[in-house]
Amino acid sequence: MSVVELRGVGKRYESGAEIIDALKGVDFSAERGEMVTITGPSGSGKSTMLNLIGLLDEPTEGTVSLRGRNVTDFGEDERTEERRSALGFVFQDFHLLPMLTAVENVELPSMWDTSVDRHDRAVDLLRRVGLGDRLTHTPDELSGGQKQRVAIARSLVNEPEVLLADEPTGNLDQDTGGTILDEITRLKNEEDLAVIAITHDEQLVEYADRVVRLVDGVTRT
Amino acid sequence: MAWRNLGRNRLRTALAALGIVIGVVAICSLGMATVALEQQATAQLGDLTNEVTVSSGADSDTDGVTGEQVEEMRAIVTDARVIPQKTNATTLEARNGMEARMSVTGVTDASALYDLTEGEAPERLQSGALISNATADRLGLESGDPVEYDGRIYRIRGFIESEHSFGFGGGDLVIPVSGLADQRHYDTVTIIAADGDAAGRIGDRLDTRFNTEEDEELRVTTFGNRAQVGGFLDTLSLALLGIGGISLVVASVAILNVMLMSTVERRGEIGVLRAVGIRRGEVLRMILTEATLLGALGGLVGALVSLATGMVLFHVITGDATGALGWASSRYLAYGFGFAVAASVLSGVYPAWKAANESPVEALRG
Ligand SMILES: Nc1ncnc2c1ncn2[C@@H]1O[C@H](COP(=O)(O)OP(=O)(O)OP(=O)(O)O)[C@@H](O)[C@H]1O
Ligand SMILES: [Mg+2]
Repeated sequence: MSVVELRGVGKRYESGAEIIDALKGVDFSAERGEMVTITGPSGSGKSTMLNLIGLLDEPTEGTVSLRGRNVTDFGEDERTEERRSALGFVFQDFHLLPMLTAVENVELPSMWDTSVDRHDRAVDLLRRVGLGDRLTHTPDELSGGQKQRVAIARSLVNEPEVLLADEPTGNLDQDTGGTILDEITRLKNEEDLAVIAITHDEQLVEYADRVVRLVDGVTRT
Repeated sequence: MAWRNLGRNRLRTALAALGIVIGVVAICSLGMATVALEQQATAQLGDLTNEVTVSSGADSDTDGVTGEQVEEMRAIVTDARVIPQKTNATTLEARNGMEARMSVTGVTDASALYDLTEGEAPERLQSGALISNATADRLGLESGDPVEYDGRIYRIRGFIESEHSFGFGGGDLVIPVSGLADQRHYDTVTIIAADGDAAGRIGDRLDTRFNTEEDEELRVTTFGNRAQVGGFLDTLSLALLGIGGISLVVASVAILNVMLMSTVERRGEIGVLRAVGIRRGEVLRMILTEATLLGALGGLVGALVSLATGMVLFHVITGDATGALGWASSRYLAYGFGFAVAASVLSGVYPAWKAANESPVEALRG
């Protein structure tokens, strides 16, 4: 059973008179333990597809399933719960909260949750990405690569099954990008994650178990 | 978390808090000012406003208030003291040869009318005389000294607080009513009620009993001032509170603006929060907490500043700074603080709601 599954998914944006079919009948699935990269030209619908998998957006057509459950018609609150428990996000520009320390940023997804204490898990994750000595630094005291590692630790704090990354190395230089991808690959194996990463970058393709190419909202494998 | 968010943009937080502080100080100190004015006014007028004065009316046949009328008044007014007085004028001569023209009041129930600085006003003044401090000073009279009126000698038994007598026609020299026996009728009747409202009611009752539209038997005077003064103070405090209210509205708008700005500015961050699984309610609470903290902070500082201002106001108006601590005025501090928090929370609701319900994709897009 695939942890992520898209069936005939379409996404149409209607802004005024303009109608854009960002995705057209996309079928896609991913298993735990594999890294899939999505490539394709700019505007081909990569981010749109990742947002649909990440339950940040709703498809206009087709079905989205997570962990074997059809989540297409979930309401906003159910989507939030699903994001919290099953999904981790890494963004191109890190999106750390500037007033929180590294460890607090990692704890952020569970900060309001009184039922669990993720502090130990947060510290452990930061150690595993090599930031054991940067726990109490704030984002402006960290380099780009370090910030992205904090973001990766944050995405994993709630023990998700799927890690979604939209151009995680897009703001980093070649070498730093490489180490980040090493990190993601290692964590993928340790935590048995399905990693779905978007990239323009041929470098990232080397790390992938599988590459999906999107052109004009259609998948080409 | 909320604290840190406020701490991020200190200048903006400080400005917003300043807005609240000004609003709170405005409403508090204006409220306290009216309380101080009210206290001062009541202190000055309190002794007069509970009195009803009755004298002979324009259409009366008799030159004064008759004994029967007094008896009738006593029958109608059972809950207050009815004190008939006869007044005249005389010239007293001191041992040193100095003379002074003064009013003479003949009254039995002297203790109800006069406060004495020395000696005690007798319940029933049967013999002896009371004399005002000022007159006694002028003529060098002392307790036990004789004064003469209408051929009779009275010994001075007490001294009247001078300033107290300004409500009446007289009070320079007070003797037993029997001393003015040649005046058949009473010149004035003073009725001392429990308070200004009671005095007003008594006045109305007497007026309807003795007078008609065309025929005024008795002239009934109440110090309606109490009501007028009260009414004036009410209007004044309403006006002042209105000004305070406007400044509070301005303060609220400032908070609303700050909260809106900060949520708009943090749109992306809030999108991230939502993306990583923070619930809408939690985002809402976070922003409301910020607003509440802001309000509480501003309210607290505002209340402290207001307390200081209030004490200065009380010192200036009533001469007693500690009056500001009384509940009548210090409750405005509570109101001000309560308002600051309430206004902040209310101003936070819309931005919070807006931020919590925005689609995370839109927010992340920037
Ligand atoms: N909210 C939106 N409203 C209207 N059109 C949109 C919206 N979001 C995306 N689109 C359009 O959908 C298409 C796909 O956009 P998407 O962001 O998925 O591309 P992408 O493959 O991620 O591109 P890039 O590599 O530049 O990030 C584009 O033509 C874009 O203009
Ligand atoms: Mg994109």
